[in-house]
Amino acid sequence: MNHDLLAIATMGAIVLVAVLRATTPILFAALGGLIADLAGSTNVALEGIMLIAAFAGVVASVYAAVWWPDLAPWIYPWIGCAAGIAAALLTTALLAFFHLELEADLIVAGIAINILAAGLTVFLLASLIGDKGSTASLHSPVLPSIHVAGLAGIPLLDTLVNGETGRGHHILIYLAFLSVAAVSALLCRTRHGAWIRAVGENRQAALSAGIPVKRVQYLALLLSGLFAGLGGLYLSMGYLSLFQTDMTAGRGFLALAAVFLGARRALGTLAAALLFGASAVAATRLGGFNVPPEIVYMLPPFVTICMLMFAGRRRATTVLRS
Amino acid sequence: MSVAQSPLSRRLQLPFAVGSSLLIGFLITALVSQEPVRAYLALITGPLPEIRWSDSQGWQVHRLVRAGSVIEDFITLTFLGLAVAVPFRARQFSLGADGQMFLSALAAATTSLYVGGPWFVVLPAAFGAAIFTGFAWGLIPGLLKARYNANEIVTTLMLNVIAVQLYRLLIVEYLRDPAAGFLVTPVLPQAAVLSALIPNTNVSAMLFLVPVVTVFAWQAMMRTTVGYEIRTVGEAPAFARQVGMPVTRAIVLSMAIGGAFAALAGVHIGNALLKRLPVDLSPGLGFDGLVVALLARNDPKAIPMAALMYAYLRTGAQAMERTSDVSREMVMVIQAFIILFVVSQRLLPQALPQAWASLRQRRFSAKRLKLEQP
Repeated sequence: MNHDLLAIATMGAIVLVAVLRATTPILFAALGGLIADLAGSTNVALEGIMLIAAFAGVVASVYAAVWWPDLAPWIYPWIGCAAGIAAALLTTALLAFFHLELEADLIVAGIAINILAAGLTVFLLASLIGDKGSTASLHSPVLPSIHVAGLAGIPLLDTLVNGETGRGHHILIYLAFLSVAAVSALLCRTRHGAWIRAVGENRQAALSAGIPVKRVQYLALLLSGLFAGLGGLYLSMGYLSLFQTDMTAGRGFLALAAVFLGARRALGTLAAALLFGASAVAATRLGGFNVPPEIVYMLPPFVTICMLMFAGRRRATTVLRS
Repeated sequence: MSVAQSPLSRRLQLPFAVGSSLLIGFLITALVSQEPVRAYLALITGPLPEIRWSDSQGWQVHRLVRAGSVIEDFITLTFLGLAVAVPFRARQFSLGADGQMFLSALAAATTSLYVGGPWFVVLPAAFGAAIFTGFAWGLIPGLLKARYNANEIVTTLMLNVIAVQLYRLLIVEYLRDPAAGFLVTPVLPQAAVLSALIPNTNVSAMLFLVPVVTVFAWQAMMRTTVGYEIRTVGEAPAFARQVGMPVTRAIVLSMAIGGAFAALAGVHIGNALLKRLPVDLSPGLGFDGLVVALLARNDPKAIPMAALMYAYLRTGAQAMERTSDVSREMVMVIQAFIILFVVSQRLLPQALPQAWASLRQRRFSAKRLKLEQP
């Protein structure tokens, strides 16, 4: 009896850990989307930025090992990480420049960035590696995991804190959940956060209040790019240890949905991201049963649409009440 | 259009956008390719038919297949461009053309397989089924937007995933041809297939439908009440709401009508190009329709021109991939920059005529100064 309970609890812990893993990339991108959305500049390019960061991270870490073979091996993934973030920021800067300086429509420009990312990654993949599918032929490093020692005696806690393999959780998983608090504090406690919300609320009023509106918009977009980049890096240097064509698979758009679903708050966004993570895990678990894979793939988008309907209905009722 | 543009700069913007996007693409290609010039020559001249002279056979036209594939793509892209342009006119960023096209192609194929009879029975039935499917599938994000204020970018992309999976599921479970070695529907009956007009290509009578549909879309947009409502909701939503226009209906209809146009692209792919539907029909064409719509600034009558240009570029990209070390995804980079340049309101061509005008003014005043001085 006691044994069964422990087995079920361990199973639950394993599922929970899987949910955390599936949530992390969505959560990163959603936090970025939240910041941009609050500044009134909905960033639909999250998907593309993630993809470019994921690609740049893998390629830079592999090339760093070729160019500077004398460095300590633990440095290479961090070089990749830095390159991924730089690439994400560069891509976002391109978007921000076209929107804020050349007055391109932000949504259309964002869609263009997504197309750019999908094309550029495959093109460079084919040119640099000679394979259009993935970087599986390369041995690319991953960012480290954090192992909490001294839990071997308590199996349940050990599974929860260190994962079922006992190697600990990826460093970016910790960073993602810490970022929720950081973003929440940024938005509610700091002057820049207040500026971001003011610009999103009413651009004209913010201008007349003397807020440097354009600078705030650049800041918000670049922050969203930074977070989306971290989400992409987690995909290629944590979740998997390679880059695949279109490996983001719509997570950037799920992140956009998570922002709407979370009522544009940091904690709400976290809850929505966890929900999407859970539905992704449920879909893969369902794959073990005798269900056609097509139905399994339909599940997450279906959940997303239902959740958007739910959020819309709730918003409509609150508007009616007030 | 918040910034007033001079007519000259408007006319210059498109060539400028295409030219500078090609240039950026070339620079990126030159960074990683061994033979960038060769690749670009293939990209630009690849789709052209080749006319060769030989002593034995006289003048001969080669590579008609490539020109044919330009026209095939041109037909698909015109319909997809219209499918994107109509909702965009109402400022609905519907990206659902892909899903609408997949399901309509399947609806047309299923009808063709199960409704027998001569072509004048089968073909209208297939077209009807496809257009109904496209319209209905386009209605869903419209209703979601109108009823629940659900962001249409997210819902249409999610619906695309569902549509593609539904398409695969239906073919694998119900429509697969057991005799074929791969997952595909049976070959459509002869009566349901639009036969080729040009030998060795799949250019069918759909080509004649292109001008008809384009003119229809243009007139519907400019001359009908629904068209007026769609345009007004897109350009001045506050005004439309104030004067009591049925804003919700315009939003829903814009997306559903877009779906009906995407359905025509579906029929073209199923009943004219492939003649049977494989399970792994590759998604993503909807985004090419998006580029076409943006190139044409969502103006229905400009869409065939934009579609032709883009079809040319796509076929050129395939030629480039075959003859050089540059992969055809390069064109997506060019495509992205074309979009960015086209939607930029404040771009060089605007500055260019201004600089030209001020230069002329300065020279003129200098001349006048000279005239006045002596």
